Parts: sequence; C-alpha cells; structure tokens
Amino acid sequence: MQIYVCVKHVPDSAANIHIVDNLKIEESVPFLLNPYDEHAVTEAVVLKNQVPGSEIIAVCLGKKDAESTLRSALAMGADRGLLVETEKVCDSMTTARALHAAIVKDGPADMILTGKESIDNEGMQTQFRIGALFDFPVVTNAVSLDIKNGNAIVTCELAGGRTRTFDLSLPCVIGAGRGLNTPIYPTFPDVVKSRKKPIETLTLPELNVPAAPGSAKIVSMTPLVQKRHPRKITGTPSAQAAEIIRILKQEAKVLS
Amino acid sequence: MKQAGIVIEVEHNQVKETSLGMITLAGRTAESLTALVMDGITREITDQLAAHGVHTIVDLVLPDAPEIRLNPAVRAAAVVHAARELTLDRVLGLSSPEGKDLLPRVAALLDAPLVMDCVDVDLNTGLANTSQYSGKVMAQIQLTGETLVFGVRPNAVPPEPRPVQAKTVVLTDNEAVPENITLRSWDNKDSEGRQSLVEADIIIAGGRGLKNKDNFSLIIDCAEKLNAAPGASRVAVDEGWVPYAFQVGQTGEKVSPQVYIACGISGSIQHFAGMKTAKMIIAVNRDENAAIMANCDYQVPGDLFDILPEIMKQL
Amino acid sequence: MTKKYDAIIIGAGVIGTPIAYELCKMGYKTLNVDKVPDAGEGSTAGSCAIVRAHYSTEDGVALAYEGFKYWLDWENYLGNVTDEKGLAKYMNTGSILVKSDGHDWRKVKKHYDAVGVKYEEWDVDTVKKHVPPIDMHKYWPVRRPEDPTFYDEPTEMLEGAIFCPEGGYVNDPALSAHNIMRAAESKGGEFMFNAEVVDIRSENGKVKGITLKDGTQIDADIVVNVGGPHSFKVNQMAEGVWEGCNIKTKALRHEVMYCPSPDGYDYLNDGYHMSDGDIGCYERPEVGNMFLIGSEDPECDPQEWVDPDEFYAGKGGKGRDNVLTDAQWKAQCYRLGKRIPSLKVPNQPKGVVDLYDVSDDWIPIYDKSDLPGFYMAVGTSGNQYKNAPVVGRMMAELIDACEKGLDHDQEPFQYEFKYTQRTLNVGFFSRKREINYDSSFSVNG
Repeated sequence: MQIYVCVKHVPDSAANIHIVDNLKIEESVPFLLNPYDEHAVTEAVVLKNQVPGSEIIAVCLGKKDAESTLRSALAMGADRGLLVETEKVCDSMTTARALHAAIVKDGPADMILTGKESIDNEGMQTQFRIGALFDFPVVTNAVSLDIKNGNAIVTCELAGGRTRTFDLSLPCVIGAGRGLNTPIYPTFPDVVKSRKKPIETLTLPELNVPAAPGSAKIVSMTPLVQKRHPRKITGTPSAQAAEIIRILKQEAKVLS
Repeated sequence: MKQAGIVIEVEHNQVKETSLGMITLAGRTAESLTALVMDGITREITDQLAAHGVHTIVDLVLPDAPEIRLNPAVRAAAVVHAARELTLDRVLGLSSPEGKDLLPRVAALLDAPLVMDCVDVDLNTGLANTSQYSGKVMAQIQLTGETLVFGVRPNAVPPEPRPVQAKTVVLTDNEAVPENITLRSWDNKDSEGRQSLVEADIIIAGGRGLKNKDNFSLIIDCAEKLNAAPGASRVAVDEGWVPYAFQVGQTGEKVSPQVYIACGISGSIQHFAGMKTAKMIIAVNRDENAAIMANCDYQVPGDLFDILPEIMKQL
Repeated sequence: MTKKYDAIIIGAGVIGTPIAYELCKMGYKTLNVDKVPDAGEGSTAGSCAIVRAHYSTEDGVALAYEGFKYWLDWENYLGNVTDEKGLAKYMNTGSILVKSDGHDWRKVKKHYDAVGVKYEEWDVDTVKKHVPPIDMHKYWPVRRPEDPTFYDEPTEMLEGAIFCPEGGYVNDPALSAHNIMRAAESKGGEFMFNAEVVDIRSENGKVKGITLKDGTQIDADIVVNVGGPHSFKVNQMAEGVWEGCNIKTKALRHEVMYCPSPDGYDYLNDGYHMSDGDIGCYERPEVGNMFLIGSEDPECDPQEWVDPDEFYAGKGGKGRDNVLTDAQWKAQCYRLGKRIPSLKVPNQPKGVVDLYDVSDDWIPIYDKSDLPGFYMAVGTSGNQYKNAPVVGRMMAELIDACEKGLDHDQEPFQYEFKYTQRTLNVGFFSRKREINYDSSFSVNG
C-alpha cells in the first residue's frame, strides 16, 4: 500500500501564544508535529506492519521550518517526506488543493491519513476537502481501523462514547482521533536512521495548485486568556453546589 | 445574501435548545431563515421553529433505512442538494459531534469556505469569531465565496422567541446512495468510555485534599455525572491514588478545558502550568489561603466531601 | 507599628526554612518572608532534589554526606512535627557515577575515601547487570544534536562506574520545605507569604530591618538573604553587601526533562540515580515511570542568564512561563537516548524550567557580609538541595557565633558535623574567597 500521511507543523500546545499586530501569532514558540497527526503516522506504521511492502509518505504544507515536523514523522516510521514549501498562510481550501496536488504528483495513494484536526487553527475540515478533491470517502475521529478484503473497516467516535462503524472502499481518507492508538515515539537509533531518509521539497507554482473559489482569512486575533478575578461562592454546601451547577450551565454553558 | 439555511438537530422529537440558539444568532443578521430538518417533521417541531423566527421549514426526506439515513455522507449530500435547490448562500449547523462530521462534508462538497466552532457570526458580511490555539486566541475570520458555511458552537447564544409565519417544504433527494462509504453499525448509548483529559469541556481534578485512594472515587463519580474528565495533581499520582494518565501539570497533561474544577488542590506553580489556559477555573478548597484561591474565577471555600456529593445529588 | 524580630530570613525555600528552624531552636525569634504563596513554592519546587555525595571538593563531599544523614532521619529531624500535607519521602535508589572524561571521578573517589563514603566500583558488565537497557559506549565529548558529529557511531567503551548505595532523591521538594516550616513554627518561627522585600534598611552601619512592597517595615538585628535566584538582587538592596562580595551570584535558566522509561523497564522501582559526564546528563526516576533528565551544563550548551523577576513574570524571552525549548529537549533526551537506546522520546517536550542561583565558581556562599547583622546563604548553583538541613544548622551556628562577637572573616568559624566526625572550615564558603578552580563549574559543584 502507498500510504500518505498529511502532517502539520503547529505551536506546542504548552506554549504561551502572543499576538503580533492583532493579526498573527509570534512564531518564536516551539513548533512540533500536530498531536493528532502523531496518531495518523502511528496508524500508518501499524498498517505497514500488516501489509509488508507498503510505503509511508509524510506530506506537509508549510514554511521551511516545517521540515522538522516531517523529520519527526520520519523518526516515527514514515519512509520519506514531501514538503510543499510556502511562506504564505494558507486556508483549508488552498491547503487541501496543495496536498492533493502533491499526492497526485507522487501517488497513487491507497490511503490518506491525517489527524482529525490541527491544534492551531482547529479547522476540522482539510481531510474532507482532500477527500472531495480525490472523490475518496472520508471519516473523522477514527478510533479503530482494520483492512479487510480490500476495504477499510473504521470505527469513529462521536462525543460521549457513541460510535459508528463504516466500511470504506480504498483509497480513502481517515482522520485519526486520540483513541486510535498510542503514538509511537522514536528512540535515538530511530532518529539516527531518519536522518538518512529523503525529504523532497515542492512549491505551489510547480504543483500548479489551482485557485479556490472561496477563502477564509483571519482578519484579527485577540488573546483569550485574561487575568482572573476570583469571586467567592459562599453558603451551605448545598447552596454552593447549586451555584456551581448554575455557573456550569449558564455561564460556561458546558452543561445542558 | 439571499437565504440562510440552518441544519437543525432534533432530540426526543424536540428541537435542541442549542439549535434554537443558533436560529436566534442567525436571525440577528439574516432576514429570511430556512430550517433544514432531517429524520422527519412533527407539529411540535414546526411550532418550535416558527416560534423562534424560521420562515421556511424544509423536510429533507431521507430513506427510512437507518444505515442509510444515519450515514453522514448521505446527510451531507442531502444538505448540499437542498442548498442548491433552494439557492441557499449561507449554511449553518452546530459544531456538535454530529455537526463536526456533517458541516465539513457539506463545505467540501460545495467547495465553500467554512469556519467551525463559531461563537459569533455575521451572515451579511461573512465574518465569524472562533477560538483557536486551544482556546488561547479569539480569531475573527472573513469568509468569501458564493456559499459560506458556519459551524456554530452549541450554546453560543441562548434562544430568544421571535414568532413568525412558517411554511413547510418537502424536499426529497433522489441521489444515489454512495457506494464507497457504508455505515455498518452504530452505538448510540453512552458507553463507559471515560472522557479524554485533553479533549474534555469540563475537567474535575483532585489533589492532596482527597486524602486517600478510596476517597478519589468521589472525583471519578462526580466526573461521570458531569460528563467531565477526571484529573489529578501530582501528589495524587505520587501517592498511587490514580494512574499517571490522570496527572495534570508541568509533567503531566497540559489541558485547556472550558471549565477546570480543582478540588483539594493547592495550586502549585507546576500544577498551574498544566491548566492555566482553562477558560474558567473553579477552586473548591478548605484553605482560603491556598494559592489556587487567588488565581481562579470562582473560589468555593469549603469541604469538598460536602460539596461534591451535593453537586451529584442536584444533577 | 513596626514589628520586631530577632532575625528575618528572606526566603522560605528548602534553605531558608531550616535556617529559621535551627535559629528558633537556639532561642531566636524568627520571621521568614517570601514573595511566593507557600513554603518551597519558589525555585525549590523546580529542584530535582537529588541526594548524592559526589562533589569535586572534599568539603563538598563531606557536607553532602552529612546532609544525607538528615534525610535518613527526616521525622526525628523535624522533631516529629505533623504537617497536614504529609511528609516528604526520601527515596534511596543508590547513585551511579559513570567513570567518564566529564567528571574528575578519580578525585571524587579520593574524597570518598577521605570522608568515609561507602562505594563500590562497577565494571561495564556489572553496570549492565544493574541497568539492563544501558549502552556503555563512550560518547565523549558532549555535543549538541545540531552538530552532525553528534550522530557518529561510538567506537570505544567506558570503564565502568562508581556506585554509592547511599543516594537517591526526595520525592517532593516543595513539601520538604513545607515540612521544615511546620517544624520551625512548632519552635515559634513565623512565616509571611506573598510578601516581596524591596529594601534592606540599615542604620549606623548595622542592619535594621526590611521594607516590603506594600510599605510594611519589619525590624530585626539579623537579616539573612536566602533569596535563591533573587539573591543578587537582595544583596544589592543592602548597603555595601554586593560590593563586599568577591564572589557574586546570578540567575541561570535551566531545563529539566521528563521522558517515559522504555517499555519493560521499571525505572521508578528498579532504577538508580545516575550522573553521566560522558553525555552531560544526570537522571533519576520520577512518578509515572519517567526518567527525569537534568543537564550537567556541558560546555557546548548555551547559558541563559536571566533577570529572575522578569523570568517569573513571564517576560524572559523564550524562557517565559516554564516553556521548554525544543532544541534543549532534543539535546538532553537524545544524549540520554545514546546511553539508553530504547528510551522513547515524545515529540512534545515535557519538563520543568526554573532558575539556578549560580555563584562565580558554582560553590555556594554561606557567610556574613560587610554589613553587620546581614548574612547570606546564596549561590546554591543547583546543587545544594541535599545539603539544606545541615546548611540550616551551620548557618544558625555561624550567625550565633558572629552575633556573639566572632570575626568570621579573620578567624573562620569551624562547624562540627553532628553525624560524621568532621570539622568544616566555613571559611571555605566565604564571599571573600578567590574563585575555587577545584570546582567542576557545573551543577555537580
């Protein structure tokens, strides 16, 4: 099988995000492989072990720095990398077109894996757009995957532990969720090996990435983490509990 | 803008409150609202929709067989069909678990831009506000294109009544059932699967104040009631009360839930490093001088052994 | 009204609390002030709390060995006080010092013999028997992953290691300071938190007291600087103190990594503390079956000196708010990955960033100052946690002797160890000393 894994170079979730010009984040924070994509890479390695002779190609759209994220994927077990290098900030419609074009050029693909979302923009849509461009079936938040009789049997999770199991014909696109596997982490010998694996750099013009009929553009950004001003909830334990429940429902809106 | 179509979610033959809130949000910037209802329409549903400002109610008729009707690819195709038939140039739906599997499909099929998890939307200008970077940033996003798709965060806006006259349209999608994706089985009952720490909206975490392993079950039970993920400070893990997977902090998981309820946790710097990006922090602690009491949104001075059972009782 | 104490101790970390405890036992009325909310919540909380005897000087070894005895006897040391948070636990794992070019281990061995530290010499096979996943190739010199030669195949083997059965770590360093605070309180000591000192007042050439940020003045004839990474700022507040020090201190940013143990290796229960100069790392077990990986400050690593106030306020450049750097994460984890080839290194860094209070020669200053009544226990350089209880006693006795008229600069105070039968010339830690070139100039001390 020819397995493509789309990965994204994102700021560490632990990093403090600072906003520049009310428009973009300060990029001096550590960047790493999107955590959901770790599950996608790991699943590709699992599949490769099941289907000997498979090849895993990690594909990434991003700046030159994103090469380090491809290296992480290679250290985890991908065989080679494709970096579609651009300085531009691309929205999901363009990203999907770029990744699609890179995979078409390199392919054919038997399976495309991604994380179910990226932890930076949290757009949750690129996998579906890639699927539509290829006309491949797509599922998201996959928690189990089996290949049987040339089909992919995939269980996906909705919230609250509800699941759905699909039968997808190959090739297909699968968005990996946290429950899919435990990510493989490279050992130092893996890292040494991965340094010899090839990364090919492509550009948007040479891929002839077509313009999208629409766009999503960030026009402003504001920080959400403010200084906290504690308010006290007093009274009997019963009154305190009632107030906590009220806050969860009416203010935080996390309980219905 | 011509027409806004709103994908409605129904539960127990009632329009979900969250869907009604989304209608209210859409009504702020759109004159004419069209509701797209799958899985059948009843009088109750049409009354609810009309009472909240929907002018046109579309009964999207899907095949009865649940394995077809519940297939998100089928549902997405039906919404796309309706959007084209009715020339909807705005499509809204909830960023709910179902919505996350539906709206991106719709956007991809329409090749239209999409913002998920919006807390505010202006349907005229195509501007939407959504959080990014694990809740650390609010971004305003401008969508451009023929059709624009928005996923609205549940409870972003509470529903407000706005009674109008509504007409009902029946639309049957005769498109072929997709062959490359079939639904084999589904499990709608809440399984015992515990919420994942990094993804949960609510985390309820316990620390030294729990005193021992047996008491920690109080946190776990309370988490189950709240549909929250249970967490712990390093001490609780170090003492062997809970596994390492529960640990929140510098050396455990870094989390950004909507609400973090810290019970019997003093709030060391290293614990804070793991949860300071929580949107709201509620601290339950007997010690009013504990560090966490100065660095939270709600301080609840008192005994967690009294307060948590009360919460469970009242839910 | 101005409150009055016999002694004010600035800092309530693991060094400040035992000084208070010991002074209280000697009859002094003490007050500790600290800007953090609770005892041990400053840089003590970020300490790896390692207890090991190897130092580059004989006095260093002797002090550590004496300190070790206190940890063994923790409850008695605390006077069996109760702490509602429970007691910190000393975990005796044993301590492995790898024989490498990165440590002057022959000198350490000589010091062990002189002090009477128990140890065994292990050859490579013995090390492997005790640490199954270890690879004893020689990787010296220490390099960074950015350097292509970092990945060169090693060809030589190391000689082995020196093993001390007595060594380990304290499981909760902040709690240990809290324990000592409770013990001090039981002897009459007082503590004030969320209180930042902005001035050291003096009168007629003698210390008079402190002023807090909110304007509160508190008086005492004795003021002790145990400000940790803030120590140089505190010294600068006191008249003539900073200028009177030949050895100065400053704050160094430092990262400690947490990396999961390889599958099948119960490092938490079967592992050892290890100092490995060949890769410039030290390790100890941590809850969650993790390797805690510290750096021994190899020459190739950059040193980032920071302003402690800016660091803790989150303004310290890439050091802001405890965010690890990817480059250092890879440096420390990959170095250990050479020694433990089955170690799995996650993509997301996990660990602690805090500050060392480093002196010019990485040996602490335990001394009086040029301002009568003002004392200092500073420059702990990331390596004095283990000595805290004995330093508390030694500082208290030093202060008492000076207050009773001893001219410590001319006739250095001689401290009698309580457990090991030795006398320590406290002048060794003088602020007036010349730089001690016997030092390792690293966290090893």
